[in-house]
Amino acid sequence: METKSQNIPSILGKFGEEIYEQIMNGESPSIKIPQRGKSNVYFDDEEKVIQLGDKFSKRHFLNVAHTKKFMQTVLVASYCRKLVEENRHAGIRELYYALKHTVEGSKENTFDDQAESNPIIEDIETTLDILREELNLTADRRGYIYGDIVLKDGEDEFNAAKLGRGGWAVPGTVEDIEFLNVNAEYILVIETAAMCDRLIEEKFTQKNNALLVACQGQAPRGIRRLVNRLHTENKLPVYVFTDGDPYGWYIYSTLKQGSMNLAYLSKRLGVPDSKFIGMTMDDIDEYELQKVTEKLKDVDKKRINEIMDYEWFKHKDWQEQMKKCLKLGVRIEQQALANKSLEFVAKEYLPQKIENEVFLP
Amino acid sequence: MSETKVKHADEIFKSFKTQSVSEFFKKNAAMLGYTGKLRSLTTLVHEGVTNSLDACEEARFFPDISVYISEVGPEHYRVIMEDNASGIPLDYIPHVFGKMLAGSKAHRNIQSRGQQGIGVSGAVMYSQVTTGKPTEIVTSTGDKVINKVNIKIDVEKNTGEILSRETLKNPDKWRGTRINLEAKNLQYNRSKYSPYSYLKMTAIANPHTRILFVEPDGTKILFDRNVRNIPKHPKEMKPHPHGTSADDILTMIKNSSATRVRTFLVSEFTRVSAKKVEEIEQISKLDLDINPKKVDWEYAENLVSAIKQISFMAPPTEGLIPIGAESVKLGLEGILAPEFVHTVTRSPQTYHGGIAFIVEAGIAYGGGAGNNGLDIIRYANRTPLIFDQGGCCITEAAKSVDWKRYGVKDDNAPLTIFVNLVSTHIPYTSAGKQAIANEEEIYNEIRFALMEAGRSLSRYLSGKRRAHEKLTKKKTLLRYVVETSNAIGNLIKSEDKSKIINALTDIVEKKYDFEESNDGEEEVTAALEENSEEEVSENGD
Repeated sequence: METKSQNIPSILGKFGEEIYEQIMNGESPSIKIPQRGKSNVYFDDEEKVIQLGDKFSKRHFLNVAHTKKFMQTVLVASYCRKLVEENRHAGIRELYYALKHTVEGSKENTFDDQAESNPIIEDIETTLDILREELNLTADRRGYIYGDIVLKDGEDEFNAAKLGRGGWAVPGTVEDIEFLNVNAEYILVIETAAMCDRLIEEKFTQKNNALLVACQGQAPRGIRRLVNRLHTENKLPVYVFTDGDPYGWYIYSTLKQGSMNLAYLSKRLGVPDSKFIGMTMDDIDEYELQKVTEKLKDVDKKRINEIMDYEWFKHKDWQEQMKKCLKLGVRIEQQALANKSLEFVAKEYLPQKIENEVFLP
Repeated sequence: MSETKVKHADEIFKSFKTQSVSEFFKKNAAMLGYTGKLRSLTTLVHEGVTNSLDACEEARFFPDISVYISEVGPEHYRVIMEDNASGIPLDYIPHVFGKMLAGSKAHRNIQSRGQQGIGVSGAVMYSQVTTGKPTEIVTSTGDKVINKVNIKIDVEKNTGEILSRETLKNPDKWRGTRINLEAKNLQYNRSKYSPYSYLKMTAIANPHTRILFVEPDGTKILFDRNVRNIPKHPKEMKPHPHGTSADDILTMIKNSSATRVRTFLVSEFTRVSAKKVEEIEQISKLDLDINPKKVDWEYAENLVSAIKQISFMAPPTEGLIPIGAESVKLGLEGILAPEFVHTVTRSPQTYHGGIAFIVEAGIAYGGGAGNNGLDIIRYANRTPLIFDQGGCCITEAAKSVDWKRYGVKDDNAPLTIFVNLVSTHIPYTSAGKQAIANEEEIYNEIRFALMEAGRSLSRYLSGKRRAHEKLTKKKTLLRYVVETSNAIGNLIKSEDKSKIINALTDIVEKKYDFEESNDGEEEVTAALEENSEEEVSENGD
């Protein structure tokens, strides 16, 4: 919402004008794009989020290795300008299909795969410092929210605790969603839908006054932005509950401090104050779950070593978790708690941890 | 007693007839190239053409040679060969065309096309033994008369025999020689072993020559002159002491007027000084002041073994006349019209310790080069070697080169490899004179020459590849111009998209025009850039 005031068409227009000027001056046209990925991110100690560095790539039309991408970039930019001006929205897959055609006088396609158009959208976002949402682009919805919150989406107002056991599926773009009434003390983000369903069935929401958010794997942008907004706008604490393995921990990390790929959005997507509930390696002893652990595979170990090196995992508590994980050679899933009993997670595990504040940072 | 009477040697040798060289030939025609129907025809042409080329060279004329082949009957052809050389005086006609080993160069230490001097009389002989007919010679030295004779070879006497003779007027001052013969057991086609290939190869290595060839079906082919200078005539050279045998020494003594071995050595050999003779004396412990006529086999052998222990200066090479890299290049270009030619003339070397030789090599790529793939054309003293390709040192050396290293992708590449071995003594593998023996020094020189040419070819091919890549890149860029320009036009809400298209097209065109006129470094940096990821800059703004 903070960027709503920006005049998107004029930003895109200015971007085009710069290229136009280069061409008219007979210069080799190029676009300067901030680099994304590990080589150009750093952990911002003050903001506690992953931030984009200041390395740029130059995309030259005259370099045949760049030519196609250059063309794709201006193609996507001009399409977005049209979308915004016509006040229409398109999914990122729709954008791909809308722009896919044969390049005049050749057998080549403008795009061969959506995997080509998606990064171009991110290029434009970073280059012009505007959000995909502001370009009227939406992503497929994944993840849902359940709990006592009244939302307004367009013309519709509804309570997310009264939509049945499926909750409300969170769209890719949540900028326009309004929070009319929030009756919850905290947000619990859960890795798997199965665990979230378990908690819904156990009436965890009602008993603990919590909002449940299932991210279904790595949290999509819609979910992350929703959690971020609920946290900043309604001051709700965020707790994250994932499997006890490097992938689950990384889901937490992304929710907390953003991701490398979307580092330019970390401040809008991350919740640096969020806390990690579990699963932890300590849970295995604490709850006597030794029998229900899974053995680590080589790729899992490799992944642990990787994330141990990330600056934002340097906290000693996390380092200890990883070391312990490697030492034990096992991982522990959320649903392993069912070994105690189905309601164990809802009645004992989570309430106790939250009450006693047994968190990892 | 009479039955057991011992025969006197004279009696035994009464029946021993000295076999004439001609008779020897008749029985051993195959050895001299008259084997197989096609090969025999090519050999006939070869003998005539070689004779003409030598004659023209000696007389310092630009050779104009015509070869007509026509079919007379089944496996029966007429071959007419005409040149514009100095002509042959009447008295010498039987000598030139009728006597084996009559060549003026036999037994001389000189670079020559034909070496053993059987030459054109062999052609007369072959005609005679297959048809029984004489050969017609028409020749004039450019004076008032033209002599027209029919000649046969008296096989037993090894002499030419004029059967009939005519004197014609020569108002146009025609000069030259025309041989007209018929022969059987022949076949004509255009294969690798044909007169056609032979003449084409001859034209390449003798670019100062013009050859007109008329095939049996009437097709006229002109291999035109590509060079405007006549090769220097090779000089006779004294033999180098290394590479001399005891037998050679005894032969040389016969022709020498020296009165002491000491002077014989200095006067008959090259690179033998008085000081070197002293060395020979010390090592051999022979008396070098005896009359050479008294030298016997044992003495000669001792002499040779002493000589072998002494080092001499390398033989002089002014007697060797290479075609010259430039002329080979013009020859290859003129006849094959290839895309690329590189030729090399190496500096003189020796083999067997004392025989001087020069290797010339050339590579022609693309155009008319190659013969549905790799074609190795071999020459000895610029005479084409057509047969026995497999057993030849040139073939082996050429095949030993790893052509892939030089950008030749496969065996089907249009590549002609030219090698000419120049020497006073070509080490043929047999009397057929079609393959060169595998002498290590020669083999290595051929390899070096080809590798040098190969490096140049490699540069050409990679340049060609680069140019091709450049063209592809330009095309790629141009393909995206319209799409990109339209998108930019839409982005800035411009109606005049053709303006952007034109400007962007200009930028692309300019980039490639600029690169074309600036090869080398410019291209290298461009190539690096193109292969790189999008370049990275820090603190760009």
